[in-house]
Amino acid sequence: MPQNETIEGLGLDTYKYGFVTKDKPVFKAQRGLNEEVVRQISAHKEEPEWMLQFRLKALEIYRSKPMPTWGGDLSQLDAVLDDLYYYIKPAEQMQYSWDDVPPEIKETFERLGIPEAERRVLAGVGAQYESEMVYHSLKQEWEEKGVIFESIENGLKLYPDLFREHFGTVVPPGDNKFAALNSAVWSGGSFVYIPKGVKVEIPLQAYFRVNAEQLGQFERTLIIADEGSHAHYIEGCTAPVYSTDSFHSGVIEIIVKKGARFRYTTIQNWSKNMYNLVTQRALVHEDAHMEWIDGNLGSKLTMKYPSCYLVGKGAHGQILSIGYAGDGQHQDTGGKVIHAAPHTTSQIISKSISKGTGRASYRGLVKVYEGATGAKSNVECDALLINDTSRTDTFPYIEIEEHTANVGHEASVSKIGEEQLFYLMSRGLSEDEAAAMVVRGFIEPIAKELPLEYAVELNRLIELEMEGSVG
Amino acid sequence: MAELTKTIEGVTAAFNRDAVVARTHGEPEWLRERRLAAWRVYEETPLPTAQLEEWRYTDVSQLALDQVHLAEPDAADASGARAELEGKAAAGRVVQVNASVVETWLDESLKAKGVLLLDLATAAREHPELVREHLATQAVPAEAGKFAALNAALWTGGVFLYVPRGVRIEEPIRVVRWIDRAGIAVLPRTLIIADEGSHVAYVDEFRSPDLDGPSLSCGAVEVFARDGADVQYVALQLWGKGVRHLAMQKTIARRDANLDTLVVNLGASVARVDLGAWLAGPGARSDMLGLYFATGDQHFDHNTRQDHVVPHATSDLLYKGALYDRAKTVFRGIIRVHPKAQRTDAYQTNRNLLLSPDAEAVTLPNLEIEADDVRCSHGATVGQLDEEELFYLMSRGLTRQQAERLVIFGFFGEVLDRLPLPGVVEELRAAIGERIA
Repeated sequence: MPQNETIEGLGLDTYKYGFVTKDKPVFKAQRGLNEEVVRQISAHKEEPEWMLQFRLKALEIYRSKPMPTWGGDLSQLDAVLDDLYYYIKPAEQMQYSWDDVPPEIKETFERLGIPEAERRVLAGVGAQYESEMVYHSLKQEWEEKGVIFESIENGLKLYPDLFREHFGTVVPPGDNKFAALNSAVWSGGSFVYIPKGVKVEIPLQAYFRVNAEQLGQFERTLIIADEGSHAHYIEGCTAPVYSTDSFHSGVIEIIVKKGARFRYTTIQNWSKNMYNLVTQRALVHEDAHMEWIDGNLGSKLTMKYPSCYLVGKGAHGQILSIGYAGDGQHQDTGGKVIHAAPHTTSQIISKSISKGTGRASYRGLVKVYEGATGAKSNVECDALLINDTSRTDTFPYIEIEEHTANVGHEASVSKIGEEQLFYLMSRGLSEDEAAAMVVRGFIEPIAKELPLEYAVELNRLIELEMEGSVG
Repeated sequence: MAELTKTIEGVTAAFNRDAVVARTHGEPEWLRERRLAAWRVYEETPLPTAQLEEWRYTDVSQLALDQVHLAEPDAADASGARAELEGKAAAGRVVQVNASVVETWLDESLKAKGVLLLDLATAAREHPELVREHLATQAVPAEAGKFAALNAALWTGGVFLYVPRGVRIEEPIRVVRWIDRAGIAVLPRTLIIADEGSHVAYVDEFRSPDLDGPSLSCGAVEVFARDGADVQYVALQLWGKGVRHLAMQKTIARRDANLDTLVVNLGASVARVDLGAWLAGPGARSDMLGLYFATGDQHFDHNTRQDHVVPHATSDLLYKGALYDRAKTVFRGIIRVHPKAQRTDAYQTNRNLLLSPDAEAVTLPNLEIEADDVRCSHGATVGQLDEEELFYLMSRGLTRQQAERLVIFGFFGEVLDRLPLPGVVEELRAAIGERIA
């Protein structure tokens, strides 16, 4: 176990991923953002001209858009962004074998348990360190069926037509300020293609690690699930604890074609000095299913609303969101569903826990356009408050233009019931154990959708966080 | 000299400083200062735009501010307005036509008990000790927004009601406000103070014939329920076509007070209402009830707030609406539980029936909770009539339209049943029945 697992005085003693690796990056851009940095990134990636132009145009859009005034507190963000490194190239090239990954980086991922998980339960793994993927591998069985699981840079190099056809179509640079920023400086992330009818039964996983201080990580992922395919993609994220703030802004674009099913699971456990502003969106075609499972446990501020654009008849979107806001954290999360075709259905379930001075906000949109006949949507938000300094908010937007649509939203806020605690304690549990059990029960509907090792990790985290929290 | 004539948003031929000064003639000095201060706030406040979260779905241009002139007190025909109150049991009556209060009547026995029912300008002169402290200070001050400032600077007519400690008024106080023509702006203001342990119900009706152009009603209502008081405030908005209805209403309930409101929006072309309940004392309770039925091109925008600033208070909101044709309605509600407001119970429900292909309903029920020992929930739905219920009624011989209207009537019944004023509820049923028939 890393010796800095306990970092005194920061109240972060339950964060076991806060260790720092001594490494030797091969290239580090100057601090701050300008056209030169964008050109350097593009040059290092040996990109075609159209991508450079795409980046430069996005940089203009980024500069022209004001900082959002809603959501979390972004008042300190300008200063953070000015001092950031926008690009740190960790290794000369991405590897397909762990043996070829620089040893200190490989060691980092060993400590995070990635290669072991890969051997046991995963179909493929991508590992990103700082700004780029250092490792990407897919088991042969899936490769033979035509599945593509590559770093995003290799996707552009190896499959230029497929890439260009879809890139930037789900989340265009002008979508929001941080999508524009990502479009200008994106680096790392995955390119995934699941061929027609192929069912990848075990998950693909990408793991994102930030090691350097004041790094901005801007991964970009493009996923195409072709007709009738099935797949599950998991991303995990961690970073060391620094006194300065770091920044992560990803863009995830997913195209789920006719009859396909795709599940995207995020377990975000960034250190509590990370701004995490992410745009995740899926375009869901006829009779296709898209599921977002979004677990937000870490970061200083997360603003993330996974979205499903239901554009084909009978498409289904599901968003399960779980947020944990401890001291000093703000999880501003939720989901959006746009019903733009007949007989589309959706469900959003959000569970949040606020503890200490933590604040958990649900922010969501359900929009039904005229013509989306028979659309149905149901939203449930439950919030649990642990202390009298904790805060929770619910901000749902429901806009219905279609008179045959049925849409419902329900939310409740509660604290851990004294009667529940009393009952459990009368059965011999300590107060902390009882509180942890109530919390586990509260999040169970979502936790059961997580891969086993993440569910275990979540339970462990809750037990640690609940120690001494009530009473 | 273009630089010298910099335009100030919202300053028009009707709304300007000269008009404010004209209003202050014959008024006490403190009121004159208050109007002028409010006007400065108005000038400094930009017109709301869609960038403002609370004005995201209503465009200020829909209010036709530059197409109206200020209604001046004049000898308008009051017979239409008076007819609305005929035969209705009342403890007191006020009739306002355009900018003028044309009738004020209060039961003699109540006068003897110290109840005051006056037009607001008279009350400001004769009872400054009550009016000065409460008028546009705590509930709907000029600082509450552009249109709160407009009303605070330019209000005319207006009603003042004071119910002394322990006085219980059995029949409702009834007020009707009437607009008789297009092209005018009226700015009514209501101030109600229910002293400790008193009881009163107040029914405010907003009526006019259909107009051939826009008129504006920009009103403010302030209701204070002191410790243990029991107050019901009902607003029945039945303006004719053409009227733009802007209403700002805030209730402040002290310890153990019960302060309920019912807001019924049936008329007007555009209605934008801000409704706040401020739970300011432990044991206070506010039920906030609302009904809306929108047809044609009607546009209704409701913006509600439930503010819990002390422990042990309860608020419960239920707003229901039905939409036909090209109507658009917005419900935006916030429950705000301030830090330290432990043991709060706060609920919020908004239900919509979307009944035509071109109608649109928006619902935004928000919670902001900063205390942990609370029970809060909200629910919102947008849906249709139950086909099985319709089928049953049609199998009993009703046409589809009759069946629909009957089911809508039942849908609204859940709201009316919660108002503890049986006589008023019957009248409201009749008014709603007439509107949806």
